Amino acid sequence: MQFIILFIVQLFFLCFNILSLNADERTVKVGIYENAPKVFTDESGRPSGIFIDIIENIAKNEGWHLTYIRGTWVEGLDRLTKGEIDLMPDVAYTADRERIYSFHKIPALSSWYQVYVPRGSNIRSILDLEKKRILVLERSVQEAAFTRLSKGFGLNSTIISLPDYDTMFETVARGDADAAITNRFYGIMHAEKFGLEDTTVVFEPSDLFFAATQGKSKLLLDTIDSHLANLKKDSQSIYYKSLKKWTSEEVRFKFPVWLKILGLSAAIVLLISIIGSIVLKRQVNARTIELQKTQKFFMNIVEFLPDATFVIDQDKKIIAWNQACELMTGVKKEALLDQSNYAYAEPFFNEKRPILIDLINMPAPEIEATYKYVQRKDNRIYAESFSPQLRGGKGAYLWIVASPLFDQDGKRCGAIESIRDVTEQKLIEEALRESERKYREVVTLANSIILRWSPDGEILFMNKFGLEFFGYTGTELLGQKLMETIVPESDSTGRDLRPLMGNICSEPERFKRNVNENIKKNGEHVWIDWANKVLLDEQGQAEEILSIGSDITEQKKADDKIRQLNNELQRHAEFLEQRVAERTSELAAAMEKAQEADRIKSAFLATMSHELRTPLNSIIGFTGILLQRLAGPLNNEQDKQLTMIQNSSRHLLSLINDVLDISKIEAGQLELSYQSFSLRSSIENTVKLIRPLAEKKNIGIWQEISGNVENITADQRRIEQIILNLLNNAVKFTKKGEIFISCNIENGLCHLSVSDTGIGIEQEDIQKLFQPFHQIDSGTSRKTEGTGLGLSICKKVLDLMGGSISVRSKIGEGSTFTIKFPTAMEDTL
Amino acid sequence: MSNDLLIIEDNEQNLYLMRFLLEKKGFTVIAAENGRAGIDKALEHKPLAILLDIQLPEMDGYAVAAELLKHKELEGIPIIAVTSYAMVGDRERILAAGATGYIEKPINPDTFVTEIKQYFRENTADREE
Repeated sequence: MQFIILFIVQLFFLCFNILSLNADERTVKVGIYENAPKVFTDESGRPSGIFIDIIENIAKNEGWHLTYIRGTWVEGLDRLTKGEIDLMPDVAYTADRERIYSFHKIPALSSWYQVYVPRGSNIRSILDLEKKRILVLERSVQEAAFTRLSKGFGLNSTIISLPDYDTMFETVARGDADAAITNRFYGIMHAEKFGLEDTTVVFEPSDLFFAATQGKSKLLLDTIDSHLANLKKDSQSIYYKSLKKWTSEEVRFKFPVWLKILGLSAAIVLLISIIGSIVLKRQVNARTIELQKTQKFFMNIVEFLPDATFVIDQDKKIIAWNQACELMTGVKKEALLDQSNYAYAEPFFNEKRPILIDLINMPAPEIEATYKYVQRKDNRIYAESFSPQLRGGKGAYLWIVASPLFDQDGKRCGAIESIRDVTEQKLIEEALRESERKYREVVTLANSIILRWSPDGEILFMNKFGLEFFGYTGTELLGQKLMETIVPESDSTGRDLRPLMGNICSEPERFKRNVNENIKKNGEHVWIDWANKVLLDEQGQAEEILSIGSDITEQKKADDKIRQLNNELQRHAEFLEQRVAERTSELAAAMEKAQEADRIKSAFLATMSHELRTPLNSIIGFTGILLQRLAGPLNNEQDKQLTMIQNSSRHLLSLINDVLDISKIEAGQLELSYQSFSLRSSIENTVKLIRPLAEKKNIGIWQEISGNVENITADQRRIEQIILNLLNNAVKFTKKGEIFISCNIENGLCHLSVSDTGIGIEQEDIQKLFQPFHQIDSGTSRKTEGTGLGLSICKKVLDLMGGSISVRSKIGEGSTFTIKFPTAMEDTL
Repeated sequence: MSNDLLIIEDNEQNLYLMRFLLEKKGFTVIAAENGRAGIDKALEHKPLAILLDIQLPEMDGYAVAAELLKHKELEGIPIIAVTSYAMVGDRERILAAGATGYIEKPINPDTFVTEIKQYFRENTADREE
């Protein structure tokens, strides 16, 4: 209501001003520069554009003569400053400029700046301009504004100033810069031609005027204002025709309808107020109250809406700012209600500028052509946007919908915009996209074959690695059957692979892991270790199979080689085992044979011994009887010969005994028989046995047995045999003199020596003494009897006892044999 | 007291040799040519000692010794093995089978009777005391 009243007052003044206009003809110098479609030089060289249409229309009506001075934007401004021209078109109002120039009141055009980029570039929002080269018009409002804007976002971009828009768009189109900032009019007209497109970076809404030299041209400017007011009232005026012509912007066509209605209403109100202000005022009051009621009702509805929602009237004044809006932005409704001039944009974008709700009036084709982020459905428009300042400065992605509002008569009465914070969904989407990307990367780049196939064996997917591995392209393989491509009918081991695919589907667990042979496009056979995962549909039927495979051909070859070597090794081992078994049985047989031979030998020896002794018993026995004269007297010759028989038989007997002993010893059969006995008695008895023999040769036997020689544990028979042997030898090899036997026990060791005064032994013969069948002076000329077995038997027996035998001798003087043996049984024996 | 000595020996010459030596020293010799007869004669005569050959026909000396030991009435009569079995272990095996003494063939005719007498002289001496 206030707005309407204000407008009425304004109209009133305007009418008055127009009436009092000075109609003097005069020359007006107008600066022009190239900024189509606002002001530019057309192809025929004539000044052209919206501002030119306006000023020429005014000049025609006022009878002005217009002179155009061409130049760049900067030159134009300089000329205006110096007073060389009267008017410069297309000048945005700023406080700084007002100090230098003068402006009329009614804007000739409203515009804002927008960032244009090459089609398909990734620049979408202001933040994407980081480190980019951005072109601006030299000394323009946008230069300062964008510098301010980029500072606010902490952007680090390069701002390059160029003298005109065409050069800027060309530069971006060439790729020498990333973005250009132009006004929307220029952008609408030229972007497509240069292959550029708009972005959501829209800023610094500004009203454009004709500027005049400071302080000189009040009348001129007032005249322009009065004409503009009229032009804007009439939808058919040159003003709208010009806009339509240059921008195809039908928005402006609707705007005048609104103006027309308002103007009409204003005229009526004016009429009524002139005729009868009181009646009118009452009617107005009643209407106001009614409106307030309705408004209150609708405000409550708006307040209730869960999405941040605000409503503006036709004058873009905020008439509702709901609680959700307050929550989202932190700005209270008290601070915004009744504010205009894009105040609603500030809580979201930190600046007062046109936002989605301001695009409602733009025709659909134009929105589609210039704002690719804006969707339109009926008369609603939707857009996605990003606000860096929401969510405590973390920024928020917004989903915005704006719609015009109509009154009961179907007339436009304002607009509504709802904003929803979709940051969470956006982040989730982002995360999903990222995860999808990673998955795709893994699948594409994995060094494994990744294969998807249908239960009927058709290849649905194979990753890049797999395709390269098998040597196919995607188009060659996808949609083909596994059997006809990478799976041979049977592998080289003869395994039939035809039922494999069916098996994997019907027994997923068993075929979760399967190694089989595959075939490359070039026919090469490879071994693949497959991991198969069968994906089931809701009915539990196999829907798709995911198989991941690794090439194990080399490994397989190595395994086969190892297996082959193992087989060879095993064959070899078996051969060896067989050989060993053969040899073992051969040895066993030989052993048995040997044992058998041994048994036979032992039996033979036993029999021999027995059978030889029996006749010897008679020979020795009867010879003894005869020699004892038990069978009657003997003459000397008989005695002598019988004695010879006796000696011969005794020698034969000792020979038999020695042979038996040595055989037993060599066969390891000689066993010792330990028992406790009196060594002293053994020595004395043996001496007693030998004494008659010695006395016959007139040899004396002396004995010296130490007092400690008593009972010992040893093989008595063998000890006596050894002593007898030594004494026998001593008697045998001694012609005259004495035999001396001594014995003592020291530290459990018996020392027994037999010394004689016999022939003695050569030193070099001593070593041979103890070898079997060795008798010194052997040969046919030997002087003494004996087999030569005695000493070797003594030595062997003493060795078995753990004892020893040694000899000291001197030729012609005699010998001393010494034996040593333990007097107690040793454990080791 | 009997003066009998029983000789169980199948070799005629060996038997003659021992009988000659023993009878010269005043013993009465009863001879048996096999083990069974030897056992019967031992039981019949209860000799001073039994001289036993080991290799005998049918029943060998080991079996004869074992049988003799079974008879209580023969307790205390020494069994003296006189044998050509002179291999390792023969002596021990024969003594283990129950023989009191062991004389290896060929016998020494000079000492044979003395050797024999030491087995039963001691017994006689025991009895006299």
